[in-house]
This record gives sequence, structure tokens and C-alpha cells, in this order.
Amino acid sequence: MSRFGSMPRRLVHLVILMFGITLVTFFLLRLIPGDPALAILGSSYTHDRAVAIDSTLGLDKPIWTQYGLFLGRLFHGNLGFSFFYGQSATTVIAHHIPPTVFLIAYSAVLAALISFPIGFVSGLRRGGIVDQSSRVFFTLSFAMPAFWLGIMLILVFSVHVPVFPLGGFGRGFAGHVYSLFLPALTIALGFSTVLVRSLRAATISTLQAEFIDTARMKGIRWSQVLWKHVFRNAILVVVAVFGVNLAYLISGTVLVENVFSLPGLGTLLVNSVSTRDYPVVQGVTLLFAVLIVGINLITDITQAALDPRVGQEIGA
Amino acid sequence: MLRAFRPRILSAGLVALALAAAGCGGSSGTTSSSGGSGTSGGTTATLNTLIIANAVKVDTLDPAQNSVNESIWMDQNLYSRLLQPNATGTGLLPDLATSWDISTNGLTYTFHLRPDAQFSDGTPVTAQDAAYSIIRSKNTSGGWGFLLTAVKKVTATDAHTLKITLTQPHAPLLADLAMYAYSIVPEKLVKAQGKAFWQHPVSSGPFMVTSYSADSEIDLARNPHFYGTKPKISKVKIMIVPNDNTRVLMLQSKKADIIENPPGNLVSEINKTPGLSVQLFPSTRVDFIQLDQHYKPFKNLYVRQALNYALDRSAIVKLAYQGHAIPGSSFMPYKMQYWNSSLQPYPYNVAKAKQLLAKGGYPHGFKTFLITVSGDVAGQAEAVVVKSQLAAVGINVDIQSYELLTAYNKEDGGHSQMGERYWTNDIIDPDEVATFGADCKGGANAFNSYWCSAQATKLVNQGRAELNNAKRQQMYSQIQQIVYQQTPYLIIDYSPYRYGVGGWVKGFHVTPLGNYDLSLETLTVSQH
Repeated sequence: MSRFGSMPRRLVHLVILMFGITLVTFFLLRLIPGDPALAILGSSYTHDRAVAIDSTLGLDKPIWTQYGLFLGRLFHGNLGFSFFYGQSATTVIAHHIPPTVFLIAYSAVLAALISFPIGFVSGLRRGGIVDQSSRVFFTLSFAMPAFWLGIMLILVFSVHVPVFPLGGFGRGFAGHVYSLFLPALTIALGFSTVLVRSLRAATISTLQAEFIDTARMKGIRWSQVLWKHVFRNAILVVVAVFGVNLAYLISGTVLVENVFSLPGLGTLLVNSVSTRDYPVVQGVTLLFAVLIVGINLITDITQAALDPRVGQEIGA
Repeated sequence: MLRAFRPRILSAGLVALALAAAGCGGSSGTTSSSGGSGTSGGTTATLNTLIIANAVKVDTLDPAQNSVNESIWMDQNLYSRLLQPNATGTGLLPDLATSWDISTNGLTYTFHLRPDAQFSDGTPVTAQDAAYSIIRSKNTSGGWGFLLTAVKKVTATDAHTLKITLTQPHAPLLADLAMYAYSIVPEKLVKAQGKAFWQHPVSSGPFMVTSYSADSEIDLARNPHFYGTKPKISKVKIMIVPNDNTRVLMLQSKKADIIENPPGNLVSEINKTPGLSVQLFPSTRVDFIQLDQHYKPFKNLYVRQALNYALDRSAIVKLAYQGHAIPGSSFMPYKMQYWNSSLQPYPYNVAKAKQLLAKGGYPHGFKTFLITVSGDVAGQAEAVVVKSQLAAVGINVDIQSYELLTAYNKEDGGHSQMGERYWTNDIIDPDEVATFGADCKGGANAFNSYWCSAQATKLVNQGRAELNNAKRQQMYSQIQQIVYQQTPYLIIDYSPYRYGVGGWVKGFHVTPLGNYDLSLETLTVSQH
């Protein structure tokens, strides 16, 4: 079987997983006490008004009918109509995707830029100044909660030395890069710790491998050995770590979006759960599931591309 | 109206620290060019744009569907109504209707609309638009139609005359029509565009929407066709900034002129920052504790009164609201129309409370629970104070915190015991609060206490139909007296609206209903 032979099986898994997620989200959501009518009416809640709202939103139908309708619409790519945005859930969600995706990608790039050189150098020169100082720095940054770090960055770079905006998504690509720098840095600093530590460990163990000695004995230049043999092997480990943690990043964006006033998916999900906007919650949950499964899939593919052994082990 | 829940993410100490640091450096870092607050000099230039940072996203621009307070307050700047509440929330002013006649039997209202009114696209506002808008809002399911059940017919008799006929006299009618839900919108466009209209509405108020992104930014511009006083500022930018601390930092770095609801623990910090202040505006908010009569001890009048004496309201106000609230007496909002000023908050008297408990058959107290909303900092503090004060009379209170809607759900439906709730008015007439709080058949089971007084119910219904002011005053005074004596729920305090305002903004004012549209017509923003 080829390197990518497990793909069809993975796609079947994906479909089953999606179905399971629709089932769980749909019923769990409706098990939470409090419903959309209560969210709309608040302290002006009366039974009659709630009944009227339920019938407008289609919530008066039997629950299995509602689920059937939801699934039927889903097959047509229709998530239903948001209870609170006055637009289709698909439109609402699509509108919130860019800030989150941009933020995650930006954080990943920043994290890679920060951690790859530091982690590699730390592994090459164990106990050196880079190793020691980065250990202290990243232990601290990992320990700082994202919302606190975010506020501190705002305080320093938006209030004291106003270089970056206080929040928002900005306009155009350059605007996004500028506006999202602090939030992306907030996430990247926490994320880098894991990457630096794992790259350092991987570099150390690769350096001790016999094939490195072989390479040196063959007379290959040290810089060539480092780049072609050490770094390439060490980075494999990090790609796996990167993939797994990237999935966690998606949930981690919620707090950062809140601090930096970003209208992203995290904010949308939290708002929609607290107002019981069922169609939006269902849609965002599905999207997150697809993203996480997708990222894991991409990680596997990347690993297979980098390391021929991976595909054979899985697919053979 | 629902005030959406805001998670408070940072602990108080942390924020205070951050803020203190910001306070030290903010003025030097951001505005070295303006030389301070910008308001002290005699020749300060004025700016055209006002930036308001709100905590909660906009739910909709359709006034018939609005339920989030911040959205309601914003919408008042866009749409005009037949009448509008005045700045103190105690009377009505003309808006689209310049005058109105009421037939002697109180069944026919004739409104004379101003002939010069235009929508923001330049088309005239007609009586037909008004009739359509009122009927549309009345028929919106789950909306505010229940206020207008007495309305039989709404018709435009000519382009500028609107006639409303009733099935029975309905005293709150004018106040109802001044409510946001009964805003006037252009019939043709709403019908033609359907839901899409509310993404870029055409309106006849002082401002119009130029850009709308519900959870990040809404831009308003002065409506060139507005018939009233032209606002001095030409643009209003409303930013959605959910994080409390970020909002405060925005104000400190002068990226916002006004911020909504700064956290209570930062009020004194903001006040210490030169050029900034926290302004408190009396509101119609009443904080109370529900006592569900399905729980046996709360069926007992002596027990309910004992609870009233066992609570030290001034301690609650001090500890939970940093002193920025008024101890409560009547269930009706502070100083609203017909508010009964002769009622005094129940005095703190432990001995009397114990005596009443014994009289009610609970000399050693009982066990109960108190539902609170998690993340509501003031409410949590209030719960802790209530728990310790009731412990002194032998009542063991278990505090249970839930997410907002879960808490409300548990408090509704008669399975609760004690629960923290609050009320805010949507109209200036006392009919609304009286119906929800004291009418057995009002649909809200007397704020879900399931208390029922035939006398109070009768008075609420008479008050609604009575057109004579003096008689109504007397009726509502009596209703408040009954609720005060019967104590179906514990009135704790009246808390104000809080806004952080830059000293460079002159003339910002919030009415007790929460509206600030009148003040935006005259407000100025200086260079800062």
C-alpha cells in the first residue's frame, strides 16, 4: 500500500464521527436548562410569550422531528436559521471564520518562527546561554494564563507604548497582520514552550544516534549534517506535537478573542451557547470537529511526506 | 429586558494592578501632543466622532425583536416613535406625533404627525407607515403585542393623522407607544426587503446606520433628513468589547470616549485617573430575591417578614455594590411615576426577625438554597452577605451558582426556593412592573413567587383602565403598600447604570430607561 493508503478509511471515519457529533450536540444542547425563549424574554418571561416564540422557532415540534429536519437540511448544506442574528447560521458562521482561522495560522507561524531556532540551538548547546534563558522564559510564558498575558501585552504595547491597536480584526491583509499581532503573540508564546522543549529533546536524541556518527565519518560537513540529518529528523517529532496542539489552539482562541475583542468563532460559540442559539452552536461544533479531524489528517500526511516509514507502518 | 451575562475573567486584584500601572503611564504615552485631558484649555477644538464601547453584541436592528438592552438603547438613536420618554423617565415628549387627542370615553386616540418628517432616504414618514409599524410590532410573536391587547384598530385617516381605537380604556397606551418596540419604520421597504432590511435599515431618527457588524462595530452617521435638532457630532462608532478590562484600557488610552458598565471593583481606580470619571445614572433596575411559595416556609407571612428584618441592606449595598446603590423599599423602580415614597426600607433588626420566625413556627430557622448567576460579581457578593446575615437568625442558606439562563430556568416554574433576580422597566408607566410583580393572572406569577393577592390583582387591573392621574397615583401607592407588607419577594436595592466617561465628552446623559439618544443630539466631544 502506498504512503497515503489509509485515506479512504479515514474519510469513512470522518463521516461517522460527524454523524455522532450532530447527535450528541443536538440533544446535549436541548438538555441544558433554559431555552431560546427565556434568553429572548429574560425577566419579562411569561408562559404565553414563550409558547409563541417556540412556535416561531419550530421548537414546539417533537424533538425527533426537529432532529430529522435538522439532518435533512444539513445534507443540503443548510444549518438552519440563527435565532438571534436574523440570518442563516451558515452566513453567521462564515462571517466569523476569518478572524479565528487567521489568528490560528498567524499564531502557528509566529510559534514556529520563535521556537524552531531556539529549540534547535538549545538542543545543540545543552546548558548554554540560549538553553538556560529560554528554559526560564518559556516556563514563565507557559505558566501565564492567556487572558492575563493578553492584558499585559495590551498594557505595554497599546497603552504605554501605543504601537499596536487595542483589539479588533483590522481591514485588509496588512491590517489583519498588524491588528492580530498581539493576540497571535499571546497564543504563540504559550504554544512555543511545548515546541521548544520537544524540539530540544528531539535534537539531543538525534545527535546521539548512530547515523549521525556514520554521516560524520563519511566526511560530510558538520553544517550539512546538522541541517540534513539532525534538524530534519528532529523536526519530525515536532510536526506531530504541532498538529496535536494546533487542535487545542482552536479551543484556546476563545479567551484571547474575548480579551482582544475579535469577532471570531470562539466568541460566537460562547455567545450562542449562552443565548441557546441552537442552529449556530450545532454549526460551529460541527465545523470545529471537521477542523480538528482535518488538522490531524494533515499532520499524518505531512509526517508521511517527511518520513517514508510512517505510511508503511500505518498502511501496510 | 434582558441584560446579557458577561464573564468577568480577571480576578479583582490582578485588574487593579494592571489598571494602576495603566494609570501611571497612560497619560504620558498616548497623548503627549494634546497636553493633558484636552478639556481644561479655553480653545479646545471639537471632534465629530463619538466612540462608545459596549460590552454586549447587538442582537438585531429590528426594534420589534430587540431583547438585549445595549441594542435597545442603540436603536433609539435610529428610529423615531410617536412619542418618547423624557430625560427623567417620568413623562412623555412628542416625537413623530406633535399632538394627540383622546376621546372622552378614552377609547379613541387621534395622533397628529409632523408633516416634515422624512426617513434617512428622503421619503416622507406617513401615518400609513406608523399604522403598519405598530401593527407589525403588535403581531410579532413573543414580542410586545401583549401590551396592546386593548387595541382594536390602528388606521391612517390621512397622510398625517393616525387613529387608534381601543376595546376598553387603557391608561398606559401613550407610554406603550413610546416604547422602542413601537418604532416607526418605512412600510414599503420593510415589506419589499423582508429580513434583509434589518441589515441596513432606513430610519427617521437623529442617526442612521452606515456600517453594521453585529459583534464588532456599528457605525452611525447623522441622518441628514432628521426633522429634529441636528446632533452636534456627525458620527457615532459603537465598538463591541466584551472584556471588562479591555474596555477600561480603551478609555484610559482614549481609544473610546464612553465605556459601558465598567466593573465595580475598578470604579474608584477610574475615578483616580485624571480626566476620567465613572458616571452613575439612576435606572429602573430593582434587585430582589425571589421567595418561591412552593417551599413551605415561604408560604408563611411571618417568615417572609422575618427575612426582611434579618437583612442589613446598607451592608449589602456597601459590600456588593461598593456603595453605588440605594437600599430598596417599594417593588417599583426608584422614583418612577407613582412611586410610593412613604415606604422605607425594612430596618435591620435581628431580634424582631427571630421573634417573627418563632411566631411563624420556625424558632430554630430552616434550611434553604439561594440561586445566583455565576460570573455576576455583585450578585455573588450579595449572596455571601445574605447567607451570613440569615445564618444569624438560624436560616442555613446554600448558595447555588448557575450560568444565567440555567439560573433563570431553575427560578421559574415553581421548583425554586430563594433566587436573585432583577427587574427593569421597558415603559415609563407602572402598569408593566405591576402586572409582572403583583397580578396573579399577569403571566409571571408575581415574579415567580406564586404569591397571589386578589386585592392587588384587582387594583392592577383597575389602574390599567383608570385615566385619572390622581386616582391612579392612589391605586399604585396601595399596590406598593400591599407588596411591601406581604413581602412576596425581598426588595434589596435600586442599582444605577454605570458608564466610564472621558472628561472631554460634555453632556452625556442616560435616562432611567437606559436611553441616551436625547443626549447624543446635544453632546460634544472635545479634542483629546
